[in-house]
Amino acid sequence: MIRVKSYGIEELARLLAVVPPAPAGWVSAAQELPAARRDLDALLARAETDAQLCRRLVDDLEAALADSGIQPTRSTVEAARARLRSS
Amino acid sequence: MRIYADAKLVDACRRGDDGAWNALVERFSRYVYAICIQGFRLSQQDAEDVFQDVFTKVYESLERLRDDDSFRPWLAQMTRRTCVDKLRSAGRASSALASEPPGTEDVLAVLDDALAVREALAKLPETCREILDLFFAQDESYRTIGELLNLPGGTIASRISRCLEKLKVAMEEGASSSRPASG
Repeated sequence: MIRVKSYGIEELARLLAVVPPAPAGWVSAAQELPAARRDLDALLARAETDAQLCRRLVDDLEAALADSGIQPTRSTVEAARARLRSS
Repeated sequence: MRIYADAKLVDACRRGDDGAWNALVERFSRYVYAICIQGFRLSQQDAEDVFQDVFTKVYESLERLRDDDSFRPWLAQMTRRTCVDKLRSAGRASSALASEPPGTEDVLAVLDDALAVREALAKLPETCREILDLFFAQDESYRTIGELLNLPGGTIASRISRCLEKLKVAMEEGASSSRPASG
């Protein structure tokens, strides 16, 4: 569908005000997702051959992630849990 | 500045281009945030959860998006569903019939228009982008804008006015280029 609208100056000003920026920390956390997932992949691959690391991930996942330099955000922790359950 | 169409960005994200992912998040972060806050009136805490969940789902589900040109409505739908799930999990909406606050459709229509304006804004020179965003979206004073952009305070109002005119032209150009060719 092609929407063709023309706006007056006041309408443009109003529409500019409608979408304030999301908090910068939220945006950067979302932007870091691919790198976090790659780091997680590498960590879980290492855990397959490292029994001590594997135990640590199972015992205290969040701490193990943080120790490995991976920010234990909710989505990263959930993704790690799902991967550990399926492995 | 080069601005990629949504579909091109989505395709690049799917191929693992981190720069494209950054641009995609940047382009749609306001949209997702506004749906949470204005459409569903979530608290900041709930909005943050939904915001991160939505971009996680996008990242994990891009492979399943059938039509890259439909990214925006797909994202809007995903954000709405995630907001409803958040409300339900907090016991604030108990049935599908009561799942969205009244007026959500109207708010989303306005947000779609606002996103189109932001796309036109992205085509303007950096000074115009900054000054219009600081004044209208971030609600900063002339004084703060002058300090941030190193501009004389007395020129801010006239610059805003000129930049709005440029934005209007950019919108009109965008509208005419999206019209189907006649004849």
